[in-house]
Amino acid sequence: MTKYTSVSIPLTLHKRLETIISKKTGFKSVSDYVTYVLREVVAMHELKEVPEPFTSTDLEEIKKRLQALGYL
Amino acid sequence: MQSDETDDGRGGRLARRVAVLGFDSVPPEILFDKLITKLPNLGRMYREGIHGRLRTCDPPITVPAWMVMMTGRNPGELGIYGFKHRRGFSYNDGYIVTSANVRARTVWDALSDAGRGSVVLGVPPGYPVKRVANAATVSCFLTPSVERPFTNPDGLRDEVIQAAGGNYIFDVTFRTENRAEVKKELFEMTEKRFDVAEHLAKTKRWDFFMMHEIGFDRLHHAFWKFFDPRHPKHVSGNEYEGIDLDYYSMVDGRVGRLLPLLGDDTVTFVLSDHGSKAMQGGFCVNQWLEQEGYLSFVKRPEAPVELDKAEIDWGRTKAWGWGGYYARIFFNVKGREAKGVVEPSELEAEKRKLADRIAEIRDHTGRRMRNSVMEPQKLYGTATGDKPDLMVYFDDLDWRSAGTVGHDSLYLFENDTGPDDSVHSMDGVIMMSVPGRDLGGREVKGARAEQVAPTIASLLGMEPRAAGFAGSTIGEALEAVRG
Repeated sequence: MTKYTSVSIPLTLHKRLETIISKKTGFKSVSDYVTYVLREVVAMHELKEVPEPFTSTDLEEIKKRLQALGYL
Repeated sequence: MQSDETDDGRGGRLARRVAVLGFDSVPPEILFDKLITKLPNLGRMYREGIHGRLRTCDPPITVPAWMVMMTGRNPGELGIYGFKHRRGFSYNDGYIVTSANVRARTVWDALSDAGRGSVVLGVPPGYPVKRVANAATVSCFLTPSVERPFTNPDGLRDEVIQAAGGNYIFDVTFRTENRAEVKKELFEMTEKRFDVAEHLAKTKRWDFFMMHEIGFDRLHHAFWKFFDPRHPKHVSGNEYEGIDLDYYSMVDGRVGRLLPLLGDDTVTFVLSDHGSKAMQGGFCVNQWLEQEGYLSFVKRPEAPVELDKAEIDWGRTKAWGWGGYYARIFFNVKGREAKGVVEPSELEAEKRKLADRIAEIRDHTGRRMRNSVMEPQKLYGTATGDKPDLMVYFDDLDWRSAGTVGHDSLYLFENDTGPDDSVHSMDGVIMMSVPGRDLGGREVKGARAEQVAPTIASLLGMEPRAAGFAGSTIGEALEAVRG
């Protein structure tokens, strides 16, 4: 089971979110919508710090392989 | 093994478990039209399940297509446009897209949050391997070697090596001069993948099982002209004429062994990420751009060379292109590129002008190519990451884009980076079977890659949007399971 915790948001914001999700967004609750939006924001922040996983030798090898296959 | 978890309380589960056999680059023309009657196990899925064409994403490339399927996001939302990206607005700096570039939630991420187990074998981009709780993961064909960490958890490594008979193979070495060796390695690699798949299916707790096999793609790129009589270079009676049937039959036998291990409560999919077809040639995009006045050299190369190695006169260059199964076009914009010349205010007009010219390109016989030009922002709605300014398919993808320069002609009949037989096409395949049920071999129409994750989420009892998948579902698949 997914475990949940509570986060407080102003009631006025909650009401506005209810209005948004009632307009055929497909979300069943404000919590679902807020979770969805926050995941997007978190992912955007995480993407800014992507480390290079390949060594320079790996990179040359992979580029050669992809090139030989016509991908580059 | 079966997970003890039930659903997450957000609705009924249509399927106890779901399995995906991901066959890279399998086209409906080969699997359905040519070989299905000769493949007993896949043939049964075809006749007793449902099947159809699965429209892939633009571009129809392995990376991003599998992630489009597994996240329900389009390439613009993912910010992934191919195996390699340009870094920012640099001229020469690029990077290979890896698993670290995928931040959108996958099916197994969503299941993991609900404490439910997954097996993820070789799904690209899967290197470096991600630390996902409740997932037994083996990285993909982009893994440099078995010496690097390639499993999650780490302890799975020894099991994989052992299941593969001591030598797990991520990918074949593509040697055009020795096809016999490629063939041997190809079959060996795929057998080992299924050995590992069987081991994982039997021993791990999972509600979602997925394996990816790259061997089909390698078979197509290395042998298409040998088995397809319609390929311009096909020679009748060659020794590899039946290699497609040999390889697909070998896989079919392994599918027959694997299916019982997946269990009689598992809905199983066969999916491919794009199709394949005979390559007609390569179109030298940068030479054409030079001819049209968009690209200038300090000194024009006299022999074929990669664009990076050529001396480009950036002060007189408006646009350049990248090679691959589609072309990426970049404009040299003032204030954006270091030596930009196109005024930002003129960029949109320049894109339109170039698109009009691309539409007029003719092939070597003078016939007008069926070219498509797409702009990421308009195509995807949102286009994040290191996107090109324009994306181009030459002649409905029959011609690849050759990025190298210094050729005698705009038209190449060998791949400029090594001989190659096939290109990609927009339609892959989808098949789905439910054990113990005859669904009558109905054809599914209009299924799209980004519908796969929401469909699997729904089958497993997760409300797609709440689980993080915004797209629509493949209604016919859900209806078929509901009965």
